[in-house]
Amino acid sequence: MKQVEGSSECSDGANPCPICLSPVSQDAYLDRCFHKYCYSCIVRWMKVIASRPSRQAYSLKCPLCKTENFSVIYGYDGSTFQRQYVNQGTVNSTFYSEAHKYRLQCYYTDAGILNDTFNVTRYWKSGKYLQPNKWLQHWLKRDLQALTQEEDVDIIMHHILGVMDSFLKSEQRGQRRAPDLSQKEFKCLVANAAQPFLGRRTERFVDEVELFLASGLTMDAYDEVYTKHLRWKRQPEETSEDAEDRGSKHAATIPYLYLFNDSDEEAD
Amino acid sequence: MQASRARLFKEYKEVQREKSADPDIQLVCDDSNIFKWTALIKGPSETPYEGGVFQLVFAVPEQYPLQPPQVRFLTKIFHPNVHFKTGEICLDILKNAWSPAWTLQSVCRAIIALMAHPEPDSPLNCDSGNLLRSGDVRGYQSMARMYTRLAASPKIG
Repeated sequence: MKQVEGSSECSDGANPCPICLSPVSQDAYLDRCFHKYCYSCIVRWMKVIASRPSRQAYSLKCPLCKTENFSVIYGYDGSTFQRQYVNQGTVNSTFYSEAHKYRLQCYYTDAGILNDTFNVTRYWKSGKYLQPNKWLQHWLKRDLQALTQEEDVDIIMHHILGVMDSFLKSEQRGQRRAPDLSQKEFKCLVANAAQPFLGRRTERFVDEVELFLASGLTMDAYDEVYTKHLRWKRQPEETSEDAEDRGSKHAATIPYLYLFNDSDEEAD
Repeated sequence: MQASRARLFKEYKEVQREKSADPDIQLVCDDSNIFKWTALIKGPSETPYEGGVFQLVFAVPEQYPLQPPQVRFLTKIFHPNVHFKTGEICLDILKNAWSPAWTLQSVCRAIIALMAHPEPDSPLNCDSGNLLRSGDVRGYQSMARMYTRLAASPKIG
């Protein structure tokens, strides 16, 4: 990639890639110390390190500060990013499919845009919530993957499913009570279960879970409704700008990375 | 190959630009081959190398900076971590601890630091290492000073 040279104002000019000493092309960050390199440079170095037999296989010392890192984060486009683990090639990017990416973008739209499509109130009033939903697990896994951008979300998924399951059992055993009370408790339980993993996305996630259950649809059919409603095309070459443009029409939500629990979350 | 060439060129420009930044190091690139460099470094003060000027030769591999440059002393030096005959240097950053963020300039700085702080426990020059390990600092210093005078001092006249 050619970079424009000679502009000393450019921050890259003052902060060249420590490996090639040229302006950084395709920003890539190490996951712990956040030092920035060209994607191609740091990956080449990662391969050199990985080829050494004596090395600890799954970490990479930052060339600048020697912090042990586990992956390289790159391709950040406002809502999603790619991640390459040491010694693992790009396994992660193969699991993170277009469907995941698409789903994550759905989370940036306005909450409640499908409320007219699915009748959530009736779902609770009719007691339909007492029946198990066999598509839930599949959907849950995909959405958790989309939100956390981690492949292995089984622990979170089973944790949430377990909480839902015990809720259902206690509902089935106990006396009937006002549906809105049940609804409130359900959402509260799921939120508490998901909060440590999803942070600020929890609230929206709980709404989505409820909506998916109320829809009574399979994962694919549910996605279809979203696609139709938002008139998004699910094309692989969909650029982030397009997505953000459309996203902003639907939503005031500003996409940003929820990599870690934010400090203001710790404050409360 | 192309990457190492580009990177060495950057280093070359940096050296030209900051010629006076570090008066103890004078890095020069070979006229016809950007993979061959020499450096003149001043012996650090308050060491037996003070007053001496030492010449280093660099052979930069094509995989640079993913692989470290090969550096050796051309000037004879009496130091536990420098081979007395070949000038080979025992320094971790030139081997396992190499990082592509090092430059030829910073390697020179590391070598100057090594001159001031010898590591007698991993000696390439056993005589020198043994003097230090047996606690004969005076013996080591006078040997090192003698060779600095003999080999590393600018000839007068």
